[in-house]
Amino acid sequence: MTDLAERDQLSYIAAQAADARLNVELETEGMTLNIGPQHPATHGTLRIIVRLDGEQVVWAEPSCGYMHRGYEKLTEVRTFPQVTTLINRIDWLGSFANEVPFILAAEKLMGIEAPPRAQHIRTILFELSRIANVSLFLGDLGVQLGAVTPVFMAFRDREYVLNLIEAATGGRFHPNFDRIGGLKDDLPVGWIAETKQVMRKLRTFCDEMDDLLFGNEIFQARLRGIGVIPAEVAKQYGLTGANLRASGVDYDLRRDQRLPLAYDKVDWKVWTHPDGDSFARCWIRLQETREATKIVDQLLDSLPSGPVMAKVPRIIKVPEGEAWVSTENPLGEMGYYVVSKGDLGPFRVKIRSASFSNISVVPWVLRGVYVPDIIAILASLYFILGDIDR
Amino acid sequence: MALPKPPKPKAPGLLKGLGVTLNTLAQTVKPKKLGGGAQTVQYPHEKETPPIRARGVIALREDNCTVCMLCARSCPDWCIFIEGHKDLAPPRRAGGAPRKVNKLDRFDIDFALCMYCGICVEVCPFDALFWSPEYEYSEPHIADLLHDKSKLGEWMETVPAAPDLEAGAEKKKGK
Repeated sequence: MTDLAERDQLSYIAAQAADARLNVELETEGMTLNIGPQHPATHGTLRIIVRLDGEQVVWAEPSCGYMHRGYEKLTEVRTFPQVTTLINRIDWLGSFANEVPFILAAEKLMGIEAPPRAQHIRTILFELSRIANVSLFLGDLGVQLGAVTPVFMAFRDREYVLNLIEAATGGRFHPNFDRIGGLKDDLPVGWIAETKQVMRKLRTFCDEMDDLLFGNEIFQARLRGIGVIPAEVAKQYGLTGANLRASGVDYDLRRDQRLPLAYDKVDWKVWTHPDGDSFARCWIRLQETREATKIVDQLLDSLPSGPVMAKVPRIIKVPEGEAWVSTENPLGEMGYYVVSKGDLGPFRVKIRSASFSNISVVPWVLRGVYVPDIIAILASLYFILGDIDR
Repeated sequence: MALPKPPKPKAPGLLKGLGVTLNTLAQTVKPKKLGGGAQTVQYPHEKETPPIRARGVIALREDNCTVCMLCARSCPDWCIFIEGHKDLAPPRRAGGAPRKVNKLDRFDIDFALCMYCGICVEVCPFDALFWSPEYEYSEPHIADLLHDKSKLGEWMETVPAAPDLEAGAEKKKGK
């Protein structure tokens, strides 16, 4: 770790020293550049202030809050079933995954558990939202680096997944399907066969991406060795998800904690990469999409029969207490700390969203890089603006 | 730990990308009978059919509504407006006393505010609200998105029957 950081610093100092005399002669000075807050290609607003010395970044800081919608406060004046409608909109690309930890926290407080069939379907939809989220990342990544073809392929195949989610839940983006004690409804007929077909298509999509994008020399040249985050730094800044696993830390909440979800019933692998650079982060996400299709396939084969809703009262009052539940969402660890005072709604909800912690490393990782690499690094860190500001 | 190396590029990246573009072009111009065709739909001329469960618009069966206000209270952003009055209906049996019923005066849903969560449809105890997959009701003026009870009643025609459930599902009672 230190080797890399020191090398970066030394090369930076050397470059500074070499430029210094020239700068004095030409009377140059640094420039402050705003990246954002608005850009037509982003779905959301984030401003990154960078101070440049020529082409090199001297100092960078993300300035977030442009999209703050106050969900933590809004949940205080709503009942428990209404909250899922709001928290759907935090990470809007993987909406169903946002509902699950909150519902699990409420279920933990009430002391109930969803029936096995509901747990399986929850896990399936959780992984489908991961695929929908990450496949957009893979397409978007190409666009950020100047490759246009992958985005069309990604949107084409992501559409199949969104159609599946819509067929099962009724909402393409905001399913609002998870209920305290189970699910709103069972799957419609023909859904399992269709899902298996789509999972086959998505594995082909992953192979295509692997070949077309990850095998491309320009792509590798743009990402390999750029934006290296060593494992210690990643841990210190609280990175989670693929960003942490790309730094070689073997940590995945799907495997490392016991929750009433069906991950322990399937055979799958947590991928890590020792490099910690931008390429590793992207590569990990590609592998996770593959693993997700395998998880979905296995869960569909072993889907138990039975009800999808436990016995819960019609008017849900959650008993007094506090609960923390976090899950491995598409972007990283997402958790809800729910405090209930025995009312119809929560007294206080603290939302830990993955992107907010993930962009905290931006000042560290952008220091010393060149301007074209800023976009590559930001793209590979992969944050959803709604997940940052919530 | 031995990790699989990313595959070596088979063809130079540029050629590979152009090959994909050409393949997709060939796939698109191939007639539909042979499994080709575009992924996109020319919207006003052709329409996609949304799934049965798609949450397009809320339909109201006015006769079933008893002005219980459950939907208006459980709406997360309070976009349902209900007013009603008590009325006397003719007795069920001859010679009986007239029945007291709640009559609906106003039932408005503001689709400019609606978040399409479906909680109102779910809590309705008398099956008065339904989801319809209909989606073509955009308006040039935002105020026109407030649908009154006659307009919500018109959507009832487009409500499909609930889909059959996948094997292994437990049958619902009463429905």
